[in-house]
Amino acid sequence: MSSTPVSESLLSLEGVSRVYGEEVLVHALRDVWLDIRAGEFLSIVGPSGSGKSTMLGLLGVLDLPTSGSIRIQGTEVNTLPDAERSRLRGEAIGFVFQQFHLVPHLTALGNVETALLYRNLSRKERRRRSLEALEKVDLVHRADHRPIQMSGGEQQRTAIARAIVTEPLVVLADEPTGALDTQNASNVMEIFAGLRSPERAVCIVTHDLEVAAATGRRISMLDGEIVSDESQVAVS
Amino acid sequence: MRRFGELIGVAVAGLTARKVRTLLILLGPILGVAAIVAAIGINESSKGDLKAKLRELGTDLIVANAQDAIGGFGADPRIPEEAAARVARLPDVTSVTGTLQLSNIVTLPFAAAEDYYRAFPVPIIATHLNLPTTMDVPLVSGRFLNGFDEASASRVAVIGRDLANEYGYIANEARSIQLGGVNYGVVGVLDYVLLEPSMDSAVFITFANAVEDWDVDDPDPTRLYIRAPTNTRYVAEEIPTVVSLGGPDGANTKVPTDLLDAQSQVDENLNNLTKMMGGLALVVGGVGIANVMSISVIQRSSEIGIRRALGHSRGTIAFQFLIEALVIGVMGGILGAGVGAGVVWMVSEMRDYTMILSVSGLFRWASVSVGVAVVAGLYPSTKAARLEPLETLRLG
Ligand SMILES: Nc1ncnc2c1ncn2[C@@H]1O[C@H](COP(=O)(O)OP(=O)(O)O)[C@@H](O)[C@H]1O
Ligand SMILES: [Mg+2]
Repeated sequence: MSSTPVSESLLSLEGVSRVYGEEVLVHALRDVWLDIRAGEFLSIVGPSGSGKSTMLGLLGVLDLPTSGSIRIQGTEVNTLPDAERSRLRGEAIGFVFQQFHLVPHLTALGNVETALLYRNLSRKERRRRSLEALEKVDLVHRADHRPIQMSGGEQQRTAIARAIVTEPLVVLADEPTGALDTQNASNVMEIFAGLRSPERAVCIVTHDLEVAAATGRRISMLDGEIVSDESQVAVS
Repeated sequence: MRRFGELIGVAVAGLTARKVRTLLILLGPILGVAAIVAAIGINESSKGDLKAKLRELGTDLIVANAQDAIGGFGADPRIPEEAAARVARLPDVTSVTGTLQLSNIVTLPFAAAEDYYRAFPVPIIATHLNLPTTMDVPLVSGRFLNGFDEASASRVAVIGRDLANEYGYIANEARSIQLGGVNYGVVGVLDYVLLEPSMDSAVFITFANAVEDWDVDDPDPTRLYIRAPTNTRYVAEEIPTVVSLGGPDGANTKVPTDLLDAQSQVDENLNNLTKMMGGLALVVGGVGIANVMSISVIQRSSEIGIRRALGHSRGTIAFQFLIEALVIGVMGGILGAGVGAGVVWMVSEMRDYTMILSVSGLFRWASVSVGVAVVAGLYPSTKAARLEPLETLRLG
């Protein structure tokens, strides 16, 4: 009785809450349920302080929930020890942030290679895969440049190469165009759109409704809660 | 193993990215190790000449001087033949030579030189025939006094090397010298006697000649030179008893190298003080490492956050910073040991020391630097591991 095959759940939040602070409590996230499936291209929108970054950090198990659970491909990960959780994060998730967060003393290639450290890969293999990732963002010619020698757009593209060099299941981007001019922003969005594949999900936090409109699923947040979760006709 | 190599690569990249800062925190361990290595090395090297000289001399020669057993200064204490023989029979003694110094004899290379040489009297020593053996000194030329000379009391002499130079004596030249107006044939020249430098300008004759020509009643020495390669100290203590045996004759003994030996001992107090000062420098250097690295962890919090996001665990982050500290300790240790050794070499060159540097000491102090650096790195690396990645990334 299966009409449309339900695609695999990659990441899910189950009743996740996150409370910050000890004396003054900030309920950044309240009982959130969310399921991200393979092939999805989704956006998270909402006003500043609504909990978008908090949710993205939890989706990538970069933070732990106050209550509730986080699953990667069905496995609860928030209860695992740090080493195991970190390994799973490195394998399953690719992060992109608004401020690029490139290591300043490393070249573009060195920054991308950082994502492949401690995986028992030869130096040659690391290099080969990293150049391949830089190729995808059209930055091979900048491989030996340091962040300070690159434009904002180029730095963000380097960060994207670093996020995808590990072939992650989910790419999580927190306002990736927030620090870029329109030209670079649309360029970066094009790259994200190109990252979609049947096995992978791409999730972008954004202020920009135009950006959000380009995604297939739009989640709106307010005061730590998901207030709407709409599938829309995918554009382009 | 590959993982460890990658960690070292990351640590080295982190350190070389901040060269000035890295050099500054390296200064602590470098100065600490260099100070200790240099101070101990200079201290030891300053004694190196003495040690080398001691090795050459040997520390087993005993000198026994005749003395009245009662303790007063008798007119002319001697060590009788039988007493010398008893000393020679002691189990550890390999060689005994008795000597008697004659006084007030004017010695001249030739008659016309009288005015000059009267003013500077030359010691005349009556000696047993085995003096070169006991003193362990060869002849530069000719031969020493022998049994035939002794038996026949023939007028032959051996002269010290300085005297030979002064008299312009040519090796194996047939030449005589005048002792109180009596001509003696020179048959040999004795090489320098390091343990008894006065012998270098002396004239040696047989006891037979001393009795025959110079009014000496008994052929008994006033001094014994004794070689005792084993138990030297015990033998030296034993000899006065062996000489006197309750009789009126006595002797006091000394080991001439004792003083040198004491001088050659490195001052342990000074060494310990240096080690403490150097240790203090290392600890201060360690505090510097902990301090600078802690600040660095804050400055690099974004880097730490992104590494966590890329899948590096807390343990890996801690290890990365600990290895930075380790690299600083190793570099500081190696450079410090090198600088210290260089200083020891320079000072030794300048002051003509025989350089003494213990390689195991270099390793020991270098590894102390490594230990200090790693301990100093513990705090910043746990601090780095504890950072909340999401917070550091949020701050940009
Ligand atoms: N470390 C923190 N400690 C205390 N409050 C925090 C912390 N991080 C975020 N918050 C608060 O949690 C709420 C959600 O923040 P955030 O997830 O960054 O929102 P958004 O990304 O949507 O702007 C905000 O009110 C913010 O002030
Ligand atoms: Mg945010």
